[in-house]
Amino acid sequence: MDVILAQIVTGLSIASILLLVALGLAIIYGATGVINMAHGELVMLGAYSAWALQTYVGIGLLPGLVIIFFVVGLFGWIIERVVIRHLYRRPLDTILATWGIGIMAQQGIRLIVGGELRYVQMPPSMSTGISLLGFETSAFRLFILAFSAMLFAFTWFLIYRTSFGMKLRAITQDREIASCFGIKSQRIYSLTFAYGAGLAGLAGALVSPLKSVSPEMGTTYVVDAFMVVVVGGVQSLVGTIASAGILGEFTGFLAFYSNDTIAKALVLLGIVILIRFRPQGLFMSKIRASSTGQ
Amino acid sequence: MSRRTALQIGVYGLVCVIILLVPSVVDNAFILNKYARYLVLGILAMALSLSWGYTGILNLGQAVSFGLGSYSMAMALKLRTVPIHTGKGGLPDFMVWNNVTTLPWVWEPFYSLTFAFIAGIAVPAIFAALLGWFMFKGRITGVYVAIVTLAVLVVVNLLIIDLQRYTGGFNGITDLAQLQVFGLVFDAYGSETYYLIAVFLTVSLFFALAVTKSKAGLILQAIRDHEDRVRYFGYDVAHFKIFAFSVSAGIAGLAGMLYTIVMEFASPTFVGVPLSLSLVIWCAVGGRQSLLGAMLGAIIVTGMQGALSESKIFLETWMLIMGLVFVIVVLFLPKGLAGAAEMLAKRLLGNDKAAAAKETELPVRERASGEAGGAR
Repeated sequence: MDVILAQIVTGLSIASILLLVALGLAIIYGATGVINMAHGELVMLGAYSAWALQTYVGIGLLPGLVIIFFVVGLFGWIIERVVIRHLYRRPLDTILATWGIGIMAQQGIRLIVGGELRYVQMPPSMSTGISLLGFETSAFRLFILAFSAMLFAFTWFLIYRTSFGMKLRAITQDREIASCFGIKSQRIYSLTFAYGAGLAGLAGALVSPLKSVSPEMGTTYVVDAFMVVVVGGVQSLVGTIASAGILGEFTGFLAFYSNDTIAKALVLLGIVILIRFRPQGLFMSKIRASSTGQ
Repeated sequence: MSRRTALQIGVYGLVCVIILLVPSVVDNAFILNKYARYLVLGILAMALSLSWGYTGILNLGQAVSFGLGSYSMAMALKLRTVPIHTGKGGLPDFMVWNNVTTLPWVWEPFYSLTFAFIAGIAVPAIFAALLGWFMFKGRITGVYVAIVTLAVLVVVNLLIIDLQRYTGGFNGITDLAQLQVFGLVFDAYGSETYYLIAVFLTVSLFFALAVTKSKAGLILQAIRDHEDRVRYFGYDVAHFKIFAFSVSAGIAGLAGMLYTIVMEFASPTFVGVPLSLSLVIWCAVGGRQSLLGAMLGAIIVTGMQGALSESKIFLETWMLIMGLVFVIVVLFLPKGLAGAAEMLAKRLLGNDKAAAAKETELPVRERASGEAGGAR
């Protein structure tokens, strides 16, 4: 029983990171249909921003989060303005173009900062362990869990309770009709992209103390994040959080019973089979009309 | 045969002849080996053009087929290494290190080179056919195909690394014997290997051309442009897609085998995400809707990479330049360099019949297919 509980806690910790990384991607993909392969690099940029702020400016991780959000968000906004906006009619090509951007970001960082591993310090107040349900977990992991839950709530509020969100949902359903009603779809798309990018940046900053920071770190995250979005169902925020939970727990448990590699392979295979039989994702019962009317 | 087809055969043939003539000008073994490597990647990109450019299946996992071919050749050559390098009873060295005592049954048939040749093409083709059947029967299209193939690629890569006892894991299979067929020894640095690859390149290029010129090839292009309409005509779209997917995988498997011969090892990086995605870049830069374009795209890009990486500045900025070139090509030249060349040729030749024929035979419905994809 104890072992199972401990596994659940581990799984939750994996899930919270997955959610953090996938949330930005889910919003961009769900709203604009753009497959953002550069998402992993946005995560990486967030991690590097955290590192740079800490090393050169002396701003700690937590106060730096706001700056990081806006820096990476601005980067995302530029990407959208310069490249993505030409490609809304060619969804497959967005994969290619954003991947090209990803390569450039990776290599750019390697040129500017160097390819060595960098380390970001955990906030000192959170480097201790806390016992939760009788298990030792690190306070920082709990913080990530709480923070991702908070970000999720904020995003939900933004999309379902603000006028920006309403416009975004209108465009998602039918861009042309929405434009006829006077919604500036270009602007909404840019802002959405920037917001998603900002979230990716936050994710990168928050995982940076747990793992070493390197130019290639984004690659693994982007695949994981995609799987979360696909399993959850496009345009379904609740699906995203649920699938992050499911995938996190599955990975945790499978890794416990076999090893990390096999666990990852099995989860991916499961996802492949899921796409085949339920391409709309697990949590999407109706596709168009009421998909946003939660 | 239309004038365009004749012209195409002429150009394709000319390029193949030029490729075949290279060893008579270059006699540096090292350079020849490098060129041979680029040619293999050219074959690989050409195979991708068949499934992506002609049928609209964006296969991000093309490296799976390439890797399967490469490993089957490596297994055969490993079993032929001189006994010094291998353990007791011809057991490959890495198995000895991993405490494997008997040769696994999967390895047994690879004592026969003929079997390895057939397996190198058939295994990827069958694997692709099964995967294709799984995807296309369920009418998985567009972006989801890309995601599924990418996921499968990652799974295969993870498995190969994890099954170290049987695949050599992270190090791959090294220390291979040289291929010997009909008394010919194919040294990776000899001109024989170059000719072998050039001949297979010619054969596979014309085979692929024949496929695209057949009636089935026409239907493949129709599927790319508007899948549903083809379905309304009563064709079984899934069957045609499986066919294209599988043929492309078979050619990629062949390329994998050749790559093992020229590189003298097989490694999990041949089944890696970076290679698979780079391949897509080469294909797009050269022109995804032209077999020759995709092939030359790969040869030119990898060739430039090889040449420039010798200077230190370019070694560091290369990927940056590549990313930029790629973004620009995707934005402004969806048909790649081949499309640009064709446009240029049309301008130069004026509006004669050949140009007109070209125009009608290449109805690129980039926007239309994009819209259809978006609506799905």
